[in-house]
Amino acid sequence: MSSPLIVGSVAYTPNVVTIWEGIRDYFKGTSAEMDFVLFSNYGRQVDALVDGTIDVAWNTNLAWVRTVAQTDGACRALAMRDTDTVFQTIFVGRTGSGIGGLDGLKHRRLALGSRDSAQAAILPVYFLDHAGPGADAVELVRIDSDVGKHGDTGRSELDALRTVLDGHADAAAIGINTWEAIGRDELMPGAFEAFWESPTYSHCNFTALPRVPQERTQPWLDHLLAMDWDNPDHRPILEMEGLRQWVPPQLDGYASLFEAVREQAIPPRW
Amino acid sequence: MVNHRLVLDLVERVGTAARHGTVSVSLGDGDPEQLSATVAAWCTRTGNELVAVQGNVATVRRGRSLDPLAELAPDLLPGTRLWMYTNFDCNLACDYCCARSSPQAARRALGIDRVRQLATEAVDAGVAELILTGGEPFLLPDIDELVAACTAALPTTLLTNGMLFRGRRLDALRRMDRSRLALQISLDSATPDQHDQHRGRGSWERAVAGIRIARDEGFRVRIAATLPYEKTHELGPFHDFLDSLGIATEDQVIRALAHRGAAEDGIELTLESLIPEVTITAEGVYWHPVSADHDDQLVTRDIFPLQEAITEVRRRFTEQRAHATAAAQWFPCA
Repeated sequence: MSSPLIVGSVAYTPNVVTIWEGIRDYFKGTSAEMDFVLFSNYGRQVDALVDGTIDVAWNTNLAWVRTVAQTDGACRALAMRDTDTVFQTIFVGRTGSGIGGLDGLKHRRLALGSRDSAQAAILPVYFLDHAGPGADAVELVRIDSDVGKHGDTGRSELDALRTVLDGHADAAAIGINTWEAIGRDELMPGAFEAFWESPTYSHCNFTALPRVPQERTQPWLDHLLAMDWDNPDHRPILEMEGLRQWVPPQLDGYASLFEAVREQAIPPRW
Repeated sequence: MVNHRLVLDLVERVGTAARHGTVSVSLGDGDPEQLSATVAAWCTRTGNELVAVQGNVATVRRGRSLDPLAELAPDLLPGTRLWMYTNFDCNLACDYCCARSSPQAARRALGIDRVRQLATEAVDAGVAELILTGGEPFLLPDIDELVAACTAALPTTLLTNGMLFRGRRLDALRRMDRSRLALQISLDSATPDQHDQHRGRGSWERAVAGIRIARDEGFRVRIAATLPYEKTHELGPFHDFLDSLGIATEDQVIRALAHRGAAEDGIELTLESLIPEVTITAEGVYWHPVSADHDDQLVTRDIFPLQEAITEVRRRFTEQRAHATAAAQWFPCA
């Protein structure tokens, strides 16, 4: 029997332990057993993937882009959540602010999340440049409260929203998951309204390097894709990880982030 | 005025909690009812659970609470076994009797009509086993009728001190259905000293004789010993003795002495520490047979319908476990 596949993940909440113990149990007794290693940030995780400490990394979209940059594109994506294929950035302001769209941000203050968050910092600047008045025309208020975790904690986005409530910013850019988590504009009438929603893009994926051959990853991938929302044993894990189904990667969805990283000269490593 | 920060605080605080963990979130300024409703709506929408709102603080559990009933082994689910106290009077006056039974105790008989109705309703309520206890059931002149009503419905266990198997009572025993009835006879030791010290001089010898009679009559006999907690692990000679009497290993039951009834000491058993076993006496429905003479564990005076009594016990158990879990998670050390 071969040694277990080692999967890396970043511990952005205590539940990451529960999630990965559940996933590990799901693979137990199969021909593709796995174990996991938790990292405190994506920088260390990508380093570990590149140096071979782990076989597969559960990467954010920025970690994927940086892995591609560090490996000259030799890495491959194995799978992602269904929710990762339709991720969006939502621009919100106070209800009745009349911002109207990205152009309405000209000469106004936009609160951004942590600078390494694709959804709340890097792509919002990209969208301002490509679909709005240009980032230079907007006063950016950066809230770097969870740097290292690529915005996974959601904390910097919540802080950005608080900044808007406090009147220190006119709008905030947040991920669709945070917008859903606060109940969109339905739970707090009079608080926030969305004035622009980005095109969909891809978020997390499982990343592997050529060092780990497909013969090792394919049985694991096949079993992963077989997780079933309607199976009561699988469902709690899927719920906690925020998906209904694992799906093949949609690499086209990373194009905007690759372009944004290049334009904003974000380094491939840190 | 709505506290717009409330939902942001909920997302952040609950997001840092472990699954099934609870967090407390201040409601902030504003109409408490409206704020509580906002928390409830957020919990419903996000699949979390509002545990309580006390004063200006909401306690929220990440995810849905575990069902305490689902966590129990199937044979421990309240209502799987139904205990019935047929009577409270007894030919013995054991000094640790949890039911305070004795020759002086009032009979407080459940009676054939209620036993028959309980046995019938038990089948529909999903009960798998009936257990008759007392007092000493063989003091009842109609004990064979009571047992017949039970064994006709479900497998039954009859608890007895085994000392009265002679004359008309032996005849009554012989009329019982061996295929559906097990006898559980109390015996505390392999020699008379310890048993007689608590149950009365000569009681050990008569109990052992009763065990032999019951075995000879073809009954399955289970032995239950009641021992101080510190003696429950020194049982080699006792088990050897029970083996010699032909008692199967799985039918050798050791119970720790409970600080209930007439017992001056023993382990403390409370509502919170006991998984309930629905128990019926002439006075009502109790949480557990060890506390059938204690009003603190009275569930309801209404014995019928039995299904409702079982449902109420399960509801209280679920509620109590939920509170205990929440309390355990926020109880501060300093």
